[in-house]
Amino acid sequence: MVSDTGSASAVRSAGRLNEPRAALVEPQADGTPRLVNRLTVEVIREEWRVLDRWWTEEPVNRRYFDVILESGQQVVVFHDDEDGRWFSQRGA
Amino acid sequence: MVASLAIPGFELRAALRKRPSLALQPAALAPSDGAEPLIGPVTAAAQQAGLRPGMRMGEALATCPKLVLVEPDPASAELEWEEIIRRLEDSGFAVESTALGTAYFDTRGVERLYGGLEQALKRALAAVGSHWDARVGAATRRFAALAAANVARPGQALVVSDERTEEFLAPLPLRLLGLDERRREELEALGVKRVGQLAGLPGAAVAERLGPDGRSAWSQARGGKRGRIRGRRPPAEVTEELEFPEAVGNELTLRRALATLTEKALTRPERADRFIRKVALSARLVGGASWRRTLTFRDPAGDADRIRLALGPKISEVPAPVMALRLELVEMTEETGRQLELVKPEGAELQSRLQEGLRQVKASTGGGAVATVVEVAPWSRIPEARALFVPRDG
Repeated sequence: MVSDTGSASAVRSAGRLNEPRAALVEPQADGTPRLVNRLTVEVIREEWRVLDRWWTEEPVNRRYFDVILESGQQVVVFHDDEDGRWFSQRGA
Repeated sequence: MVASLAIPGFELRAALRKRPSLALQPAALAPSDGAEPLIGPVTAAAQQAGLRPGMRMGEALATCPKLVLVEPDPASAELEWEEIIRRLEDSGFAVESTALGTAYFDTRGVERLYGGLEQALKRALAAVGSHWDARVGAATRRFAALAAANVARPGQALVVSDERTEEFLAPLPLRLLGLDERRREELEALGVKRVGQLAGLPGAAVAERLGPDGRSAWSQARGGKRGRIRGRRPPAEVTEELEFPEAVGNELTLRRALATLTEKALTRPERADRFIRKVALSARLVGGASWRRTLTFRDPAGDADRIRLALGPKISEVPAPVMALRLELVEMTEETGRQLELVKPEGAELQSRLQEGLRQVKASTGGGAVATVVEVAPWSRIPEARALFVPRDG
């Protein structure tokens, strides 16, 4: 992020809102999350897939889970099927 | 004396600043989108290969298959030219820019400062910088000065005295005059191939045969007007730029980004409540090219909505996905107050309190702490593609 307020010309780099954050997820054999950030998943409220931008060099292939953890916290996590990693995301 | 600065093929040189290795290869400026397929200025290597500016693209590629077509970069060219003009102004010259790569300035005011005409011209060349291969011509008349600059070698200052003007102009080719191709060919078919031959014809006969353009060329051939140089007023310097995380081709997204930029530019302290006369919107496009449009308001604008509404339709002209969008407040009024309303419109008070609150937050937490959320693609299935946050200062 660059912000130059000292001169009359300013360049601002816009950032993405709700960027995915790496999450520690332990999946079950069927690919659904069992532990999220070391907390047990009590309920999987919803599950959905997002397949997009397959025509670009950065395709999006995600399996999303809206889960309730043992702490009562509601979290949305997804498995990135392109690079095999897990992320949590707000705003999903 | 009137001096003229010339940088032949300026737009090509500006486009090649990002790809300097091409300067030594046969390269030419590609035609802009939608324009006739004629090549623009060419490099020295392309000239040696037989290419000339204005050639049909097909003919140019057939003549020199190794020819590299360089995408025009009008935004960079304007910025580079602006830099050059500013350096000249910093050296004390009042500059009148007529086109990219061509400017006039009066040397009278600075001759004593630099110790004579020659020194003043050298100073001007030094201010431009050697890498542009600029040339300077000086004469008592504008056209003679321009012709001298076009004839001079790179880095040379050529002075033509008043008594030698006619003699100097006489052998020069007609292409130096501002005549269109057809008129020039018409004259050449009549055996008039040099500036001196045209100057020797009766003015009335030239006007009758070639019309007002011909009459104007005839007047130039005799040295042109003594016309005063009107040094420009330095433009304002408020610019705001927004870089996107990825190329944006969606018009709605760009319109939203424009709204954000407008709001930011108007809250900059350098604006000091002045009204905006002229704005420029430019974009850095995917692939390295650029796009730029300027707009002059009939009545200077002071509110973001008017600027946004006026510039909005220009967005649809952007030819490719955008990597960065830039708004420049090019010219502002001197006055700061215009009583257009007796009662503040609804919400203005709230807006000013909000601005004050934001300033306080910024003061206590530092720059970058306050950001505006701009929805760019709320329909997207990818959550992080729906909105951007843009740091704000105001």
